Amino acid sequence: MWHQLPPTASVRGQRERGSTSGPMVSPSSTLIHPGPSKDLLVKEDRTWSQKPNLSFLFQSSGYMSPIPFRPVSRNISAPTQPLGMHFGPMSPSLEPPLFFSPSASCQLKFSHMTQLHPQHQRLLNQRQHISPQKPWSPKVDPYAGLMTRKEKDWVIKVQMMQLQSENPHLDDYYYQTYYHRLERKQAEEELLGGRNKQEPRKLVTPYIQKVESYNSVVRIAGSLGQVAVSTCYSPRRAIDAVHHALLEQVCPGQLHSPEPVLAHHASALLAWSKATWAVGPAGSGSSGLSCREAEDEFLQVLCVRKGKKLTARLLPHLEREQAEEILITITRHLPFLMRKDVLDESLPVLYSPLSQMVGRMTFSELIEVLQELTKPVAGSTELPLTMTFKNQVRLAGRLLREPGTQWWVCLPRTDTVFLVARELSQVPKTTLVEPLFLPSNLLSLFCRYLDKQTIHRLEAKME
Amino acid sequence: MNYMPGTASLIQDIDKKHLVLLRDGRTLIGYLRSIDQFANLVLHQTVERIHVGKKYGDIPRGIFVVRGENVVLLGEIDLEKESDTPLQQVSIEEILEEQRVEQQVKQESEKLKVQALKERGLSIPRADTLDEY
Repeated sequence: MWHQLPPTASVRGQRERGSTSGPMVSPSSTLIHPGPSKDLLVKEDRTWSQKPNLSFLFQSSGYMSPIPFRPVSRNISAPTQPLGMHFGPMSPSLEPPLFFSPSASCQLKFSHMTQLHPQHQRLLNQRQHISPQKPWSPKVDPYAGLMTRKEKDWVIKVQMMQLQSENPHLDDYYYQTYYHRLERKQAEEELLGGRNKQEPRKLVTPYIQKVESYNSVVRIAGSLGQVAVSTCYSPRRAIDAVHHALLEQVCPGQLHSPEPVLAHHASALLAWSKATWAVGPAGSGSSGLSCREAEDEFLQVLCVRKGKKLTARLLPHLEREQAEEILITITRHLPFLMRKDVLDESLPVLYSPLSQMVGRMTFSELIEVLQELTKPVAGSTELPLTMTFKNQVRLAGRLLREPGTQWWVCLPRTDTVFLVARELSQVPKTTLVEPLFLPSNLLSLFCRYLDKQTIHRLEAKME
Repeated sequence: MNYMPGTASLIQDIDKKHLVLLRDGRTLIGYLRSIDQFANLVLHQTVERIHVGKKYGDIPRGIFVVRGENVVLLGEIDLEKESDTPLQQVSIEEILEEQRVEQQVKQESEKLKVQALKERGLSIPRADTLDEY
């Protein structure tokens, strides 16, 4: 009988020859030993002598028994080892005469990677040991192997993919816990018993990477032109829209624009503008433009609506000095700009970037700017400041508010404040445009420096 | 190849004789040839087995393609133990006759039951006429 065979006998040789599947059993497994030749197997069993034709099973290459290999002797396999290590064409008489087919497709895949419940293992083991009595009938199933290996693999793949999870401890809690406990127990046993390390078998789900990237156009090497790629799972992308947030995170320093195409243009413009405007205020530059010319050019740009928009967009990205120069230029020529803006009314686009800038500027710089506002411009009777108040430009309001109480408190140039306050009070209320921000303590601050009359008037205006 | 451990997948059952119980109560016995991810089955040399009492009869049906959702359970048949059964195999005609008689008896008893309940003002919906969901 087969179970009387010595444990060292194995069909490893046959397995290697006849193997069509991947290595299912690790060479270090305790069940495999380079055993004696096949003849030994045949000889030792008396029942086999009646069926000499069975030897073809061992000789034919590429032939794999569908019958799962059962461990020959129970003492070999440790209780936690997987049940059936497939050994190829082997011990058919161990098996009940199942409907038997020589195809490679129907093998029991109890590979070393799987783990059966110990009770289940025991059950199957018992079943095998009872069964070997019947003589094995070598009926060949002509219909076997209908399902090819590829198809089987595909089905398995589909099923495994559904098991994939980002968070296995959440999705597959029980199995994970069980497996951890098993590992721990084995580690303890190993520590105590000092036996060879036995790795617990684990179900390994294949990690199949989902293709996230989409390249709309494929260039085949050596071909002319491009091929548009679209499948039923990834149809043609209609718009090349890129998610804003992603871009923001990725390149915070760069120009943030939703359209990559425009971003390219914007960056080019940025480079150009930096080159152009760096000249004037910073002193002599590499470009041929003089300070005055550069300023004029810039002003001309600002006259146009697009120019204002462009400046507004570029301002956050310019360097500090350049931005300040721009601010000063703007404030200096504010009346001029306001005149030009009558039709367009697009100066407001500059509010936001300029106010942001103002927020970042230092005290002295702000004074400078304010001075510009209060300097009389040639050819105009009023102070630019007055005009500012009269007009819709709210920048002045913003300037005054910045950077808060401290500024007003420690203002050395009180005459500036004076001027500002006086103008504020003098301008008739109706023409005053509501500033964007109205600090509540402005009045109290004004109190310090001005006479009562002025303050009253201011009070009235502020309401 | 690592296939699913234990019997989580039907791959290991391919080309083996199986007994399949369907939702409509039929019992099919055949060789499982092919499966897919929905557990749709292809059964070869299928036989429909009708059981009435201690008797049974086999009707050869050929090839079956069974939609997975209609399967209640299936199990591998141990070819050795297959013949080891107390049941008695009879011919097809006999078993169909037996089945018809059994159905008749059942229907009559059911009718009486429903009648009795109706008289008492009760009605028990029958499982086969219920909506499944």
